[in-house]
Amino acid sequence: MARDPKHDILFEPIQIGPKTMKNRFYQIPHCNGFGSEKPFSQAYFRATKAEGGYAAVSTEYCSISPESDDTHRMSARLWDDEDIKNLSLMCDMLHEHDCLSAAELWYGGPHAPCMESRCVARGPSQIPSDFEYLTYAIEADKDDIRYLQHLYVEAAKRARSAGFDIVYVYGSHSYLPQQFLTPFYNKRTDEYGGSFENRARFWRETIEQVKEAVGDECAIAVRMSTDMFMGEAGTQLKRDCLPFVELVDELVDVWDINLSGIAEWGEDATPSRFYEQGRALPWQAAVKEVSKKPVLGVGRWTNPDAMSDAIREGKLDIIATCRPSTSDPFLPKKIEEGRLDDIRECIGCNVCISRWEIGGPPLICTQNATAGEEYRRAWHPEKFTPATNADNDVLVVGAGPAGMECAMVLGKRGMRRVHLVEAHEDMGGTMRWIPQLPGLGEWARLVNYRKIQLDKLANVEFIPSTKLSAKDVAEYGAEIVVVATGSYWATDGLNGASHDVIPGADASLPWQATPDQVMGEGKTLDGERIVIFDNDGYFMGVSLAEFYAAAGKKVTLLTPMGNVAPYMHFTLEAPNMHRRLHSLGVEIVTYHLPTRFEAGSVVATHVYDEHGHETTWEADGVVLVSQRRSDDALYRALKDEIGLDGLRSEGVDALYRIGDCEAPRLIADAVFSGHRLAREIDSPDPSIPLPFRRERRVVDPSFVKDERGWYAEQLAGAV
Amino acid sequence: MRTLVCIKQVKSLGDEVEFTADGTDVDPDYLDAALNEWDSYATEEAIRLREAGGGEVVVVTCGPQESEAALRRCLAMGADRAIRVEGVEGHDPIRVARALAEVVHDESPELVLCGVQSSDAVQAATGTALAELVGMPCVAVVAKLEVGSGPARVHRELEGGLVDLVDVDLPAVLTIQTGINEPRYANLRAIKQAEQVEIEVRQSSAEPASSRIRRMFTPPRGEGAEMLGSDPAEVARRIAEIVQERVA
Repeated sequence: MARDPKHDILFEPIQIGPKTMKNRFYQIPHCNGFGSEKPFSQAYFRATKAEGGYAAVSTEYCSISPESDDTHRMSARLWDDEDIKNLSLMCDMLHEHDCLSAAELWYGGPHAPCMESRCVARGPSQIPSDFEYLTYAIEADKDDIRYLQHLYVEAAKRARSAGFDIVYVYGSHSYLPQQFLTPFYNKRTDEYGGSFENRARFWRETIEQVKEAVGDECAIAVRMSTDMFMGEAGTQLKRDCLPFVELVDELVDVWDINLSGIAEWGEDATPSRFYEQGRALPWQAAVKEVSKKPVLGVGRWTNPDAMSDAIREGKLDIIATCRPSTSDPFLPKKIEEGRLDDIRECIGCNVCISRWEIGGPPLICTQNATAGEEYRRAWHPEKFTPATNADNDVLVVGAGPAGMECAMVLGKRGMRRVHLVEAHEDMGGTMRWIPQLPGLGEWARLVNYRKIQLDKLANVEFIPSTKLSAKDVAEYGAEIVVVATGSYWATDGLNGASHDVIPGADASLPWQATPDQVMGEGKTLDGERIVIFDNDGYFMGVSLAEFYAAAGKKVTLLTPMGNVAPYMHFTLEAPNMHRRLHSLGVEIVTYHLPTRFEAGSVVATHVYDEHGHETTWEADGVVLVSQRRSDDALYRALKDEIGLDGLRSEGVDALYRIGDCEAPRLIADAVFSGHRLAREIDSPDPSIPLPFRRERRVVDPSFVKDERGWYAEQLAGAV
Repeated sequence: MRTLVCIKQVKSLGDEVEFTADGTDVDPDYLDAALNEWDSYATEEAIRLREAGGGEVVVVTCGPQESEAALRRCLAMGADRAIRVEGVEGHDPIRVARALAEVVHDESPELVLCGVQSSDAVQAATGTALAELVGMPCVAVVAKLEVGSGPARVHRELEGGLVDLVDVDLPAVLTIQTGINEPRYANLRAIKQAEQVEIEVRQSSAEPASSRIRRMFTPPRGEGAEMLGSDPAEVARRIAEIVQERVA
């Protein structure tokens, strides 16, 4: 199909300094857990987006010095010439696709804990980080400031040597240049603090020096947060940012405009729970009014109409995406080809970001199981090799996230026939109702995308409203059976804190319920006082708290954990979730584990109280969000009762289980599980994941020992 | 009881459409094929009658060899035999009814079931025409069917949720409405077994078509449409205004 003319504007080239972007699609700097130390994973991950049509793709934050070491988190690094070699791989692969490469030069100041380098960062003032524990900076004197600017210049030269086309002087997310600009971080009284001109001095001088060093060959990008939402102390649009744009506009080739500081950067990487796409557009448009240079900005853009409008209305010049480009690296190409219903839209769950916040494992994506697997598993988001055993028929039982993904990938790999059989009348499994929880509507994109794809696959048939027994499965006529029957919430209070059930917990009683019953089956709890027992720690407990509180109930959220929904800290949902629960009057009780449930009350003890004093909460209704259990009854019946030999006599050669049926985990893990099995359905033993390529240093057996008999450094190649 | 079910392999359009060079049909590259939805209900109803009272379910279609896929789907559901009538191409319902009438004469079924209509041609004429040609009573748009000894009791769906109860002597032709039952799905084993069944192919000696297609084309874009803006409240206000203007 051809591109819709109303999207033509997205494909107009644009000049940024000495470079030209071939279209308006830009992958904003974002972390992936690969840095400079996993160069192949890094290069393949970024190049997939270039292949998908992006005109420019950036590294994540790229440290300019061991003084700015974010370990435990994973940044890229341009500390020395070896780093140049590793990152040049990415540049080369981007250039193969006529795509510009950008390096986001980063210095963390007080936010850099330097846990690997054990250096100490320099910063504008000596105030500990509001993001990282126990992390202080050296209060920079003027020599330190000269040194810092020297670090930027040297790193910019290394970036140029590596082949980067765009070099950032990165301030957003409360990093060094913006720390100088912001009174919250800058308490100086010399010419680098106080007035706007003084607070802007460090950033202006640094941009000048970087421009002077590499500006002939590289475009100079400046990433600035235009509101930290911290009142007078934080950066403010009109007081600080617009004057700064006017001050340095001549030096800058492209502005990258966003929002937030670092402590609540969910205001920038907005979860769909709280913000729709294009959230930062008013701020970006304000900069565009002042600047003569192109302005780019994020907004979790997935809708090409909204993207085109933003450019047409003069609010943005370049559509920058982070999460949507991970969810679908081929977003530009699909818009160009008019294949809008093939776009795998980001659901805004921020599970990708959670991995960086956890401290550096490779990113994952709920929608795109291939994200991060481009090199190590050689998975391509859009290409599927025909299975060598494609002459088999496959029965997938259960059309939840794992089953849908597995059937889709098996279909794309050309299996002769795939039957996706579901007990309910519709696809989705628990994802039929999870998007109905408050704020999670966009999560339905997970089901919608797969429904559309499955509908297009002539070899995949969806069979609804059909609950199969083990005998039905055995006699179904499939050579390969995949069980994807999901999981259910424990009905007896079984939980990961006490590893036991809780006396009195019984979801079959009218005043108790599990999430499955509340949302999936419509079970209602009478009365005004609802106690939610949450030992899951992610979205379910707090979402149900909001659900009941918004319905006017008096809600108590009780958890043995030290915080409600601790995983939401990693997905950046925590601050606004806390605000919402607080504004709804939800009572939060942490560090408490119920000892028993009784009609009308919940009795609990503090988890650190050695004497076990009990406290009682009145409760008309109780919701048990204690833990999930695999719904593996069908799998067990097939394997244990009919047996593999029995299945074989019916023509079933292979039996697998995927997703929550294996073990209940993140939705992203369920999707990955289904995808992984389908990708490896023709491997020697698909039940065992194939090994993935690991980027690690492997010792050379020619290592020599020193005079102490200890292995010395690599001498291979030395005569 | 022998029930003859007349089915059709229908074509559905994707996002894009191109026409054949002579402009009389859609280019088959742009079409997907499937068993007509109404016919799956008719087949299910016939299988249920056989399961309750015995007999035989025979499915028949008029079409080229590729339409055997639809017959095999019915066989996989549980039909006993399948017949394909060759030499009856095109969308003319009278021509198809004439060919089907020959099969009815040969098979002497006690009951003939058709779908109300096909989803591609949407003429709803074949079943009724067939009844006339074979001289059987016809009840169209059947939403419920009770067959015992004596006349069949048929619930005929009317507009506005009304139902007309009709007692009809068999043999008869009934056109079956969707929703009369929940058609079963064929499992993979049944699909594989159905692949092995030999489909009887007959030639039609029926008269040629009584209609022809001169041209197929995308209707020209009309005029006078008013596009309403994207603000929901404003759109709602404008719709209310339009309704008041035109209705009052």
